[in-house]
Amino acid sequence: MAELTSRERVLKLFAREPVDTMPCFSGQGMVTVPAIEALGIRFPQIHLSAENMAGSAVKSMEMFDFDSVVVPYDMCTIPEAFGLKVSIYEDSEEILFPTIPKKWATPDEVEIPDDYLERGRMPVVSEAIKILKEKIGETHAIGTWILGPFTLAGQLVELDILMKMTIKEKAKVETLLDKLTDLIIDLGRHYREIGADYVSLREMGTGADLLSPRMFKMLIQPRLRRIFESWDPPKILHICGSTDLIIELMNDCGAEAISVDHKNTLPETRSKIGNDVLLLGDYDGFTLPGQATFEEIEEAIKQCIESGVDAVWPGCDIWPEIKAENLQALNQHIKDFGRSPTPAVGRV
Amino acid sequence: MGKEELREELLKTLSDGVVNFEEDKVKEAAQKVLDEGLNAYDAVMNGLAAGMEIVGDLYDKHEYFVPELLMSADALYAGLDILKPHIRMEDLDQKVRGQVVIGTVQGDVHDIGKNLIKMMFEVAGFTVHDLGRDVPLEKFAEEQMRTDSEIVALSAMMTTTMMGMKKVVQMIKEKNPDVKIMLGGAPLTSDVAQLFGADGYAESAGNAVQEAIKMIVQLRKIQEQ
Repeated sequence: MAELTSRERVLKLFAREPVDTMPCFSGQGMVTVPAIEALGIRFPQIHLSAENMAGSAVKSMEMFDFDSVVVPYDMCTIPEAFGLKVSIYEDSEEILFPTIPKKWATPDEVEIPDDYLERGRMPVVSEAIKILKEKIGETHAIGTWILGPFTLAGQLVELDILMKMTIKEKAKVETLLDKLTDLIIDLGRHYREIGADYVSLREMGTGADLLSPRMFKMLIQPRLRRIFESWDPPKILHICGSTDLIIELMNDCGAEAISVDHKNTLPETRSKIGNDVLLLGDYDGFTLPGQATFEEIEEAIKQCIESGVDAVWPGCDIWPEIKAENLQALNQHIKDFGRSPTPAVGRV
Repeated sequence: MGKEELREELLKTLSDGVVNFEEDKVKEAAQKVLDEGLNAYDAVMNGLAAGMEIVGDLYDKHEYFVPELLMSADALYAGLDILKPHIRMEDLDQKVRGQVVIGTVQGDVHDIGKNLIKMMFEVAGFTVHDLGRDVPLEKFAEEQMRTDSEIVALSAMMTTTMMGMKKVVQMIKEKNPDVKIMLGGAPLTSDVAQLFGADGYAESAGNAVQEAIKMIVQLRKIQEQ
């Protein structure tokens, strides 16, 4: 059988059909500085135009042989569409992702505009996905992500206020989460309609280093279930930080794949969730591509595979200032070591 | 009720009030400490701070999480606001009267961990120079030089902002290698903290409370020598 295309490899993995080897991909940002430099643009520019967003995604994919591209890169597109100001740090020479300098004081102040897809940089993201579909959509997978309802709420309302309200004024938090859940369902469907092949729901504000498992079960899980019931596969639930205590709850949300970072105990997770669900993770996206030695990279990739993942991918955004030789070695190891079957996916 | 008995009771009320997020009870007990002529510093350290140490332990045991930490912090501040103006200088003279520069690095607007650490330093009698959040990197070094602070505490909640810390550590250590630097934030690991040249690190808000206490104790020992 001929080798699979990158897109086939990713989609077959999500369908738990046999693949030739593990895809090299992610559900988080994986844009790189070498790619941005090769395009002759600066970091802030990749957030501001569809051409630069799509172009930097394609260039990163080409330079490091990724099987997919992922856009957008920052967590402020939705808050911006709702009317909050965004700092893009256009004059900075540092790698600084956009932030929201001032959020709303209470959930009551949050209003979701009907035409949110037309506001702020939402059209930039939509256009970038369409460009990617046209340029590389036949051969490579197009990934996107949306913040989960609680994490998104934390981008809209000051997080400390939101956290305390989960105890003191839970009903108000629930009302906001329900509204955001509806929005996320709508946006996920939109991204799929215009060309995204998979959507990762990043609910990283709900790990057990922040919220209790009980709170996760009462407040978060019902909303995540509603989202995953409403979206077509493939869909991924990603939570970074402390996930050991909530991994079974995560697995009971309805996603085809669970994604975690290096703070998760992978072998225990695999034994808890069984072999019928995809487990994705969990290399350190800062240390490995940017700092580690070749030996450390090789060891880390082997370790991930031995721990029971179905695809080795980063536990968070890849820090853009990578060493090119590190990321090339890392992705090559994933392809080389990923030729054996994994718990949930066989090999052709 | 004897004076010592009353003291013990009020300290317990303050500590329990912090643990159980009872702001009103804490305020009432703090006022009573003043009305009864008891020592305000003793009430802060052995009442409020003792309660926060229990909260830190509960966080480590996964009984408390960040919402609970924040509610406890509110209760602690309710008492601290009343007691702090009445702390006598002679009480502090026997302890460390250090200074800390604290802030969240540029690109990061998450400040929960930073505010908890700030609170612990304030409780311990430190003068805290809070630069806020999304702070340009060079500002940390400038403020350290300006204030001659012994500690600089930096926070970053995301991998995407953590790299700024490395530059700050370099800038400060180049000018003054004796400054203690504490890093905090979810993306940190001991390897990264070591790589960046930090003296202490905390990967979670509860962990940060414990780490601040350790660093304060360590500084006291150095000063006593």
